[in-house]
Amino acid sequence: MNFRERDKRDQELDEEIGSHLRMAERDRIARGEAPDEAHYAARREMGNVTLIKEVTRGMWGTYWMHTLLQDLRYGMRMLRRNPGFTLIAVFTLALGISATTAIFSVVYGVLLRPLPYDRPDQLVKVWEKSSKGHDMNLADLNFQDLRAQNRSLQGLAEFSSGEASVSGGSEPKRLVVASVSSDFFPVMRVSPIRGRGFAPEDQRPGAGAVALVSYSYWKQYLNSADDLASVKLRAENRSASVIGVLPPGFRYPDDADVWMPRELAAVLPSRTAHNWEAVARLRDGVTLEQAREDLSAIAGGIKKQYGDDVDMVAASVQPLQNALTSTVRPSLLILLGAVGFLLLVACANVMNLLLAQAAARESELAIRTALGASRGRMVRQFMAETLLLSLAGGAIGVLAALWGVHWLLKLAPSETPGLAGVSVNLPVMFFALGLCLVVAVGLGTFTALRSGSDDIRTTLAEGGRGSAGGFRTQLIGRGIVVLQLAITMTLLIGAGLLGRSLMRVLSVDPGFRTEHVVTIDLALSSAFSPDQKIQRVQFPNNLFSRLRALPGVEDVGGTNALPLATGISSYGGFAILNPQQLSPRMLDVLNRSARGNVWDDSALAKDLNEFFVPLFRDPKHAGSADYASVSEGYFRSLGIPLLSGRLFDDRDTMDAPHVALISASLAREKWPNENPIGHSIEFGNMDGDLRLLTVIGVVGDVREASLEKPPRPTIYVNYRQRPQATYRFSAVVRTAGDPASVIASARKIVRELDPDVPPSTSSFTTIFAASTSGRRFNLMLFGIFAGTALLLAIAGIYGVLAYSVARRTREMGVRMALGASAGNVLRLVLGQASITTIVGVSLGLVGSFILMRFLQSMLFEVGAADPLTFAAVALLLFAVALLAAYLPARRATKVDPNVALRYE
Amino acid sequence: MPRNQRYQNRIELLQGTLDLLILQTLRWGPQHGYGISQAIRSQSGDVFQVDTGSLYPALHRLQKQGWIDSEWKVSENRQRVKEYRLTAQGKKQLASERSRWKQVMEAMAGVLNPSAGESKA
Repeated sequence: MNFRERDKRDQELDEEIGSHLRMAERDRIARGEAPDEAHYAARREMGNVTLIKEVTRGMWGTYWMHTLLQDLRYGMRMLRRNPGFTLIAVFTLALGISATTAIFSVVYGVLLRPLPYDRPDQLVKVWEKSSKGHDMNLADLNFQDLRAQNRSLQGLAEFSSGEASVSGGSEPKRLVVASVSSDFFPVMRVSPIRGRGFAPEDQRPGAGAVALVSYSYWKQYLNSADDLASVKLRAENRSASVIGVLPPGFRYPDDADVWMPRELAAVLPSRTAHNWEAVARLRDGVTLEQAREDLSAIAGGIKKQYGDDVDMVAASVQPLQNALTSTVRPSLLILLGAVGFLLLVACANVMNLLLAQAAARESELAIRTALGASRGRMVRQFMAETLLLSLAGGAIGVLAALWGVHWLLKLAPSETPGLAGVSVNLPVMFFALGLCLVVAVGLGTFTALRSGSDDIRTTLAEGGRGSAGGFRTQLIGRGIVVLQLAITMTLLIGAGLLGRSLMRVLSVDPGFRTEHVVTIDLALSSAFSPDQKIQRVQFPNNLFSRLRALPGVEDVGGTNALPLATGISSYGGFAILNPQQLSPRMLDVLNRSARGNVWDDSALAKDLNEFFVPLFRDPKHAGSADYASVSEGYFRSLGIPLLSGRLFDDRDTMDAPHVALISASLAREKWPNENPIGHSIEFGNMDGDLRLLTVIGVVGDVREASLEKPPRPTIYVNYRQRPQATYRFSAVVRTAGDPASVIASARKIVRELDPDVPPSTSSFTTIFAASTSGRRFNLMLFGIFAGTALLLAIAGIYGVLAYSVARRTREMGVRMALGASAGNVLRLVLGQASITTIVGVSLGLVGSFILMRFLQSMLFEVGAADPLTFAAVALLLFAVALLAAYLPARRATKVDPNVALRYE
Repeated sequence: MPRNQRYQNRIELLQGTLDLLILQTLRWGPQHGYGISQAIRSQSGDVFQVDTGSLYPALHRLQKQGWIDSEWKVSENRQRVKEYRLTAQGKKQLASERSRWKQVMEAMAGVLNPSAGESKA
């Protein structure tokens, strides 16, 4: 029923009741009562007219909507009458809701949003599991067996990806090129929107190379060419024709833009060459656990069959979504928890505001109760008011969250997966709405519980200013402040621990200098034939000499594994060898590997395997190390010290004995009591060249992977001797002054030398900053939450204390009239504030102690219960809280006893 | 929160019983609310004193259920009164309520006044 009908009905009801009263009155007069008496008697007999009308209206059915609107209208009136309260409450809620919504947008976009593939719950990543329980990439033959023998998967595909220079488009570009096996696109259920996919003829060794490109690459660099037959790309010195374009948005793996069949490259016979990642789709109805068991059984069988040739003992299966987000999940969830705490602190402030308001509205509530309002009705009224507040706060909060998300995306570390999908979208808005409702219900229940339990008569008699709202209200107000302090303390301690961790990370000596260093990343083509190798040495030589000639350049070097930057470094097993142990035949074989791939010859391969396998298994003579192919200028440019022996120099040409430099930690590990210089190392599995390397010097340790991990043992080979490894190559230029001036000239030089090789330049300070960007981002957010919570808590303390002092004006006046000095009153008020603070801080200490262990994964060299941080934050909070309490306390001393006692 | 004190020292009337009384009263012709309460009171010998707080909700409920209908009339004193009358459906409802009440009464009688032969156990 619409409003006009309802109004008419209301009027008619009034009239009906009115006529009943008139008739009752008339009958009484007819029976002989006096007119006045009859009037009142009739009314008394009828009883509570308002209640009667309400119950009758309740019979009309759609009344609930009417009451809801009535409640909302009434709530609006109340809120408008207290603009100060309303504004502060709405903005406080908006603050909490906006921060929570912004963080949830990121959590949803990165962690929760289902992957944009068909049935993403069926997609899993597969690894080999080592005997130590580590997950490893797959070796070719293991992959083939798993694929052939499994019963739980619809398809299993192997793939790998890497950066390469791709030319043939409108300009050469460094892209990620993925090498994928035949099941890859069926498993992902993605097919090209133009052209065709890979056919079996494309997927054999020796086939003409074909490639699929991403939609964005096709649009941007191929000008959305309609006729694909004319498009040929050159990647890694190989020409491939583009046969199809994949749908927009598909860039798996690793933001790839070009996909080529894996089958074009040969299959490696070693079951320990863990070169391939693997993705699979579960059969309908098969669970993760079943797939894990199925694949592990096959893995176990392989291990049993091939024994020591295999280092895999089981298989590991994880949902693809988890695998993609595992690195950021813990910190994101912790941030969500932290922002939730902030929301609690904001709600606590609003609770205190409502408390103060409720005390002022006691008489209004008492009158409504006397008129017959049920408890439920009152609760509905409070809910309506808090609903208005929280919806208003939520609306503003969502708008603010739009801005917040925009800013978060700008500052977030770029390697966070799924960042592109983060926005304030529909699920996020539903979350915000849900948040508003929860807040509204919580606050409404709190207010409802607080009121209505008092004796109405006393309330009405005292006009609402009595002590009814006094003691209980103040106690609850102080309790809320205690909670706020505890929560704020937890946030502050978290921020403090993260801050100390960051400082520790920054104080780590990376082992090289980062100031005034320009890096130029190049992706060169592969070089396996002897001719290619010669060419490959020429390019950096030319580059170095021309760079050295630039003004402002002090030194130039190159490497294929730039610390903190390239991320993936080559890491493998080496063996220490005494050349005298080798038979002349074996020596000959090793030397022959310089000219071609000896593994292709199966007889030789068998001999080599027989020779090497026991060698690599001997822990005294074998080990693992990082592999880097560098120039001698590299060490000077980055300031890596030479600790003994000599660096590479012009003597070390391709045909001279191959040499190597080792890092200090490796020297300590393998040659603890002797000089490593002069010993020989076999590290050929990294670059295919099996010639022995002679150690000629020891250089300082370098933190390659990250500042937070200990330096890895490294073996450096000379790029002139092992150029085949330098397909990803970084030139390092030490400049005298500002690196920026050199960058432009450097790019020009590279383009002149080889226009197909797009350079990516940067200064090392940027790379260094980027390596800590994740940590700094987390710290910044945590700091913002903690700081905001602190401000809110201070406002809360101030508010509660000011309110309490205002209500106790009369008490203060009495005390001072009885002889209390200003100092006594100050001590009294501050004393109570101190107790509240101490309880809050203690609760915070206990809570932090329990909660900080969840933060452990984000900390570096700082304990989760670090006493220094805990103590510092406790003192800080205590001091700040007392400062906030001081102003109201002083106001208490300013009370004039005469005025206080007289004022009623 | 004061509890509604409706039936002090009065016989509690169940909701269904009040409905029956109202429908029966209207059988004798259309009547306004005050008249209905007076009629019930006098016909029950002052036993059933229907509280206004129950009467009007009941009347509006019965109207919503379609058993009675209402109309505004002008009384002798040139005042507007709202009169209720029984509908055809209401007549049927009255008949079924009456037979149910009869069943209840007979059952009660059977329990309260057992025949002499059955009381000895």
